[in-house]
Amino acid sequence: MAKLPPERVPAIVCGGLSKRFGGVEALRGLSLVVPRGVTFGLLGPNGAGKTTSIRLWLGLTAPSAGTAFVLGKRIPPRTVLSRIGYMPQDLAVYPDLTVEENLALFGRLVGMDEGAIDRRTDEVLRLVDIAERRGDLVSTLSGGMKRRTSLAAALLHDPDLLLLDEPTVGMDPELRAAFWSYFEERTRRGRTVLITTHYMEEAGRCDLVGLLHRGRVLAHGTPVEVKERTGTSNLDDAFLALVRGQRAGGG
Amino acid sequence: MNPRRILAVTRKSLSQFRHDKRTLGFVVGMPLLMVIAFGYTFGGEVHDVRTFVVNEDQGPFADRLIANLTGDTLDVNRVSDPDFAIEEVRAGRAWAALVFPANFSTDLQARRATIEVVLDGTSPPVVAALLGTVRAAAERTFSGVGGVAALSLSTDYLYGSANTRFIDSFAPGVIALAVLLATTVFSVIIVVREKSAGMLERLFSTPLRSVEFVVGHAVALCVIAFFQSTVVLAAALLIFQVQVVGSIPLAFGILVLFAVGNQGLGMMLSAAARNELQAVQFIPLIIFPSLLLTGVFFPIEAIPAEFRVLSYGVPLTYAGGALRSIMLRGWGVGDIALDLAVLTVYTALTLLGAAALVRRQA
Repeated sequence: MAKLPPERVPAIVCGGLSKRFGGVEALRGLSLVVPRGVTFGLLGPNGAGKTTSIRLWLGLTAPSAGTAFVLGKRIPPRTVLSRIGYMPQDLAVYPDLTVEENLALFGRLVGMDEGAIDRRTDEVLRLVDIAERRGDLVSTLSGGMKRRTSLAAALLHDPDLLLLDEPTVGMDPELRAAFWSYFEERTRRGRTVLITTHYMEEAGRCDLVGLLHRGRVLAHGTPVEVKERTGTSNLDDAFLALVRGQRAGGG
Repeated sequence: MNPRRILAVTRKSLSQFRHDKRTLGFVVGMPLLMVIAFGYTFGGEVHDVRTFVVNEDQGPFADRLIANLTGDTLDVNRVSDPDFAIEEVRAGRAWAALVFPANFSTDLQARRATIEVVLDGTSPPVVAALLGTVRAAAERTFSGVGGVAALSLSTDYLYGSANTRFIDSFAPGVIALAVLLATTVFSVIIVVREKSAGMLERLFSTPLRSVEFVVGHAVALCVIAFFQSTVVLAAALLIFQVQVVGSIPLAFGILVLFAVGNQGLGMMLSAAARNELQAVQFIPLIIFPSLLLTGVFFPIEAIPAEFRVLSYGVPLTYAGGALRSIMLRGWGVGDIALDLAVLTVYTALTLLGAAALVRRQA
């Protein structure tokens, strides 16, 4: 493989990635390329393999077969973890720490210095609209605010690759709109955002989407391409058409 | 009250039990284990108290008395060199040296015989059993000749004294036990809480290494262990005026080392617990062997021989032993080298084990 300049190395490349949990095949030969500087939507219903894919890319679990490269590093991508921001589906902030203590912890773990942590804490808390609660214990926040704290922790170090697992669940439309414009601003700066969601209509704002079903990619491309290929007018219908097509094809 | 709803709640609870086999085993097995363990270890008398006997008597009476030192309370070893026997006591390898002087038989006939008893007085139950056995043997040997009244035991305490109280002997073990419980339970719960809240996964999505996680926690818990050790030692010294003849800083150092090892153990155990309920079940699993097998309250000599070997597998045996040697015998680092080595290995192994296991839980 010819050596690409770092900014052109795809954010994620995976080939034949599989993961079994006992008798359950969570991922069946996932092959996918996520280029740099895009917002990529990994779509699919619950149990499609979205979270498993992210866990494999982060090296939190080992694949049963296949491999992947994240920011050019083979998984587990230990040396590039400090350039990745991750917001898990579960609430992943300490309820018994304040908002800013949580952010400081994750900033230190990715190697930020204290000055940068201070500066960025202001910025990201304003972005997620909880700046006035920075000194409060997370346990005293509402559910939506807790999730915004978790997102702020993932954004703090302005990572090259942002992995967001169902980030917009439980967020009001206004905030959701603010997030999307932030993601678009990031991709203009060459950053990559990968979002998993089962809200198909939201995925229309992604540059590229991959439709996942039972551990396999059914289709990928721009939202327009996917709709055209299936002759449908929205991603929900496109997904259903692809699932039906797969069943008819005996897949 | 609706009986159907009541029954629904009952069935729900029983089903939850059925799905959690470990809790079921715990509920049934733990009381059984407790009864058996307590029955065996607390019901027992003191056995096999290692004693050296030196007979320098020119006459026949000492031999007769020694022949009557029967039963299994004493583990009698006859040697000829009194200095060797005393040195064994000093080194903590025997509890007593009984020296019968050359003129024992003639003195006995003159009604002024003495047996020199050189003692490690750090365990009042052992001392009581030992002196009781010697007196009983004398009674049996000389009851016909009226020699008992003519015989006195001249006790010389190498460690402790006739005034050593039961609390002095068990305080070091209890201090170590308190530290064991608090540190192990605390670290089990901390890690399980991180795991059940999805925090481990989040932490390990950063460059954080599992060994860094373990050592980071150990350092934090060490600060807590530091205060904890200060409080328990201070309470023992100030409230109960527990006897201390050795170095308090050394005792403190042992406690902190032991505390760090226990944190490693706690983090390892957390690997086997899915939630806080299961984590809590480890507490008796730690308490009972530590309470019963390590000589905290009763000397190891009171544990039946077949269980005694188990006590060498419980870390508290070494922590409690080292503390007892420091506080009651005034021993230094060189004297407790074995305990120190075992505790160091324990700490290293549990921390490494924790580092290996903790990441798999993310």
